[in-house]
Amino acid sequence: MIDHASRTPFPYEHRDFTGNCEGSVMAVNMLRVTSRRFVASACQRSSSTLAYADRLDYPAPPCRFVDDVDLSADMQSLKAKEQGDWKSLSVDEKRALYRLSFDKSYSEMRAPTGEWKYIIGGVFGLLSVAIFFYGLQKKFIAPPLPITMTKEWQQDQMKYNIAIRNNPVTGLASKWDYEKNDWKK
Amino acid sequence: MYRRVISSVVSKTRTAISLQACSRPVVASRSYSSKKEETDEQFDARWEAYFNRPEIDDWELRRGLNELHGHDLVPEPKIVAAALKACRRLNDSAMAVRVLEAVKDKAGSHKNIYPYMVQELRPTLDELSINTPEELGLDKPLEDKIM
Repeated sequence: MIDHASRTPFPYEHRDFTGNCEGSVMAVNMLRVTSRRFVASACQRSSSTLAYADRLDYPAPPCRFVDDVDLSADMQSLKAKEQGDWKSLSVDEKRALYRLSFDKSYSEMRAPTGEWKYIIGGVFGLLSVAIFFYGLQKKFIAPPLPITMTKEWQQDQMKYNIAIRNNPVTGLASKWDYEKNDWKK
Repeated sequence: MYRRVISSVVSKTRTAISLQACSRPVVASRSYSSKKEETDEQFDARWEAYFNRPEIDDWELRRGLNELHGHDLVPEPKIVAAALKACRRLNDSAMAVRVLEAVKDKAGSHKNIYPYMVQELRPTLDELSINTPEELGLDKPLEDKIM
């Protein structure tokens, strides 16, 4: 995560970033010229604020992907070649230079990862473990269900409710035809 | 001192006095009702001037690109051209390619913007020998780079 706020604020920080001045502070422009800041090279080491990150909304990370110090000899010579005319760089060299500065290109950031398969698989896996333990509990640990859950009892219960005219207006007894001794058609 | 001069003359000639005390136009980019709104041309000019600054440094370039990318718009070709020239001055060919990638991404579902942009930038790209991401094959993801 790139933290812009962690940079030490300059004394003229009230300015809009592009140097747009509010009011008559022309002299402040002079202060800027002195220090030229370069891309922080210790990116990989100081992981706290200046970490490299591939983000779609921040095209320019605060530093390069591969530090200047970690470059191999041929990469260093390539970097030196970059100082000159870019016409002399081949397509492969330009691609290599891109990979030195960046880990993923935009197309790689946007590419589908297939992560959803792992997520769905993981969820189902955990669910099946839970169901397995439930099954074990039901078979070996749980006591039998009460007698009121058997089919015979529940049928008798329904006969009883019809006999006492339970819910006669809109409920159970209203559906029973007492003349014919059957459900209403 | 400027304010005193202005207030004494303001009743007579409002328009004659230039309130430009600094080298850049006094315009706020935020739309508070009490301040002036920035027009599109002023916005473009401001950003073009920002990238065209000869002594721009790496940090400023990156910060500027990130900020520009944060706006809800695709930058004008002239702004992108100025950014590419800034990359050339800083000897950063990778960042130049990244700029083009970011512009394409910013266009989103409007697929006609990026080809137009490349067409407009063709002179700059040829002059600075910058290849587009398509020419470098970076528009197709590498298998081992995807997560």
